[in-house]
Amino acid sequence: MAQPFAAALAASLPAPAAAPVPVAPTYEAIPPSMTKLIDIEAEIAIHTVQLDGMVVTKIIKHAREAPSTTAHGLLLGLDLDGTLEVSNSFPLPHHSGEDGDKSNKTIARYQTSMLRSLKEVQADDSVVGFYQATTLGAFFNQTLVNTQAIHQEKLRHGGVVIVHDLSHTAKGNASFRAFRLTAAFLNAYKRSNFSTSSLINHRLTFSSILEELPLKIRTNPLLSSFLGTLTESRTSPLSDATPDAARLSVLPPSFSMLEVGSMGLNRNLEQIVEGIDNYRTEEGNIAYVTRQIARERARADAYIAKRKEENQARVAQGLAPLPEEDVTRLFKIPAEPSRLESMLLLGQIDAYGKSLGGTSGTGLAKMYAVKDGK
Amino acid sequence: MAIGPPSSAINIQETSSNVPGTPAQVLVHPVALFSILDHYLRRTDEQDRVIGTLLGTRTGSDTVEVHTAFAALHSETSEQVAVDADYLKGMFDLCHKVNPQEVIVGWYSTGSSLNTYSALIQNFYSQETAPYPAVHLALNTGTEQGEEPSVKAYVSSPVGVVPKPENCVFIPVPVELRFHDAERSGLDLLIQAANSQSSTTSQPVTDLELLESTLKNVSDMLDRVLTYVRAVIAGEREGDATVGRYLIDTLGADTEDLEKGGFNSSLQDLLMITYLASLVRSQAEVSARLALASA
Repeated sequence: MAQPFAAALAASLPAPAAAPVPVAPTYEAIPPSMTKLIDIEAEIAIHTVQLDGMVVTKIIKHAREAPSTTAHGLLLGLDLDGTLEVSNSFPLPHHSGEDGDKSNKTIARYQTSMLRSLKEVQADDSVVGFYQATTLGAFFNQTLVNTQAIHQEKLRHGGVVIVHDLSHTAKGNASFRAFRLTAAFLNAYKRSNFSTSSLINHRLTFSSILEELPLKIRTNPLLSSFLGTLTESRTSPLSDATPDAARLSVLPPSFSMLEVGSMGLNRNLEQIVEGIDNYRTEEGNIAYVTRQIARERARADAYIAKRKEENQARVAQGLAPLPEEDVTRLFKIPAEPSRLESMLLLGQIDAYGKSLGGTSGTGLAKMYAVKDGK
Repeated sequence: MAIGPPSSAINIQETSSNVPGTPAQVLVHPVALFSILDHYLRRTDEQDRVIGTLLGTRTGSDTVEVHTAFAALHSETSEQVAVDADYLKGMFDLCHKVNPQEVIVGWYSTGSSLNTYSALIQNFYSQETAPYPAVHLALNTGTEQGEEPSVKAYVSSPVGVVPKPENCVFIPVPVELRFHDAERSGLDLLIQAANSQSSTTSQPVTDLELLESTLKNVSDMLDRVLTYVRAVIAGEREGDATVGRYLIDTLGADTEDLEKGGFNSSLQDLLMITYLASLVRSQAEVSARLALASA
């Protein structure tokens, strides 16, 4: 019984599968072995991000030299069979936040001319995302989310954001992570609705704003061999050199991880306190708006109740009832506050906490190692 | 420390030079070198070598720091050489917007041959860097048979009774790799990637994993030293007094400041911070969940 019904239902619906019209005959010419590589419609989802060695150094240099801690730039590259290969990058000029429209135009012009210039020297010129420098792991902010939301709409595959952590790198662990926005967040973002009910519908917490993609660092063979030359140790030409000067190398191995120092915990704690303060302020704002909403709503309700009572009285007296006016025009009920900012702040606090925990954990291990090694 | 095989050249400094700021030393940032290598990989079939512009700063009177590099459009045939000056200007303007401190300090080319065209290009770049002399960085990629990768820097001076742009003497200048300490870990990451079988490494690595690998490294070195010392004691190898003294200096380092009291108080601080960190994180998580519950 069920089957014929389903068949009838399917027949009554317009055939959905018939939509893709036969494509150009050249499509047939692609051998089966190549179909994974030729991905015109961007159907193969990205599952890994691969970062070229040059991009790694470029990002680190820009992040360290930039006047603010939020250095950012664009990533260029290609996607190939699920791997997004980032092969080049360029920094974007730092703008001072004032007159946003004008600076946006300047940046757009800068971008197009830079891309044109790179194309002329056979470099990749398709934008695949952007990078953002951060300190102590706290990269959640409105700008990052806004930029990535725009990218995810415009770019093929939506693009990625690569977050580089300056403070971790300075401590000896160069940190790069790749992220993109989750579908749930993007959905809420498109409706620009971050009220409480929307958060509940999309099950959004700070940990479900971004999803992390596995990231790999790759060095091309030429770079590998060149690095080999740099790290290679040579015998000093001087015959009477001391043992620590007898072997020379441009890049001697470093052991900065073994440093037993304060490890910048003070700064980290300060950041946490600051983050919590900001969060408190934001929560206060939200609570204030919520109270205002409740008050206005109560007044509106009271007004309606009163009007109904009056009408009942008038009907009882045989008079025509007063019209039920539109209360929304009489009472301005403020829009429900957006919880996005407070959610992002919570994410920041969590990231600071995580980096603090990581640093102190490593510190503990080092201290015991030193104690036992003595 | 020179990049590439050591050279026996003596670097002569002309003190009575009438050109201001003739560099006596060139410091190269790894980004510049890696950009040159990438440009070399992306050359067209007709191109034998690639050239480009070096950006950087001049510190002091005689040091040039090369911070970054970008490719130049150029063509070389047996009859003529051409460099696109408009492209150079446009690209420099773009780079200048991001980092206003960086100026054109010279040019690079791959391969280590210096020819008439090199002199002509040097002449062209000298006009760009005037009044300072232009620096020429020759990066040998080591892809040709029998050549080692190396980096050499030159400045030029005119030669002949009547100086012509196509004639000049390239004087070698010592070149060193220079980067900020904070960038060291990035290079370590690349070295690690270069040494692995697939020339890739996965990210992110936790601090503890990194600490573990570093400790393993140290432990390996200690093993090597131990083998050597045992061999000397057993009389299999002849001991070297210098090495012995050096080992005593290195391994005899004491940890006075980590004596009992200091250790315990630091330990308590760290434990407290670990506790605080997890408290903050769980509070943040609870708060995020509560935001979902209040309806």
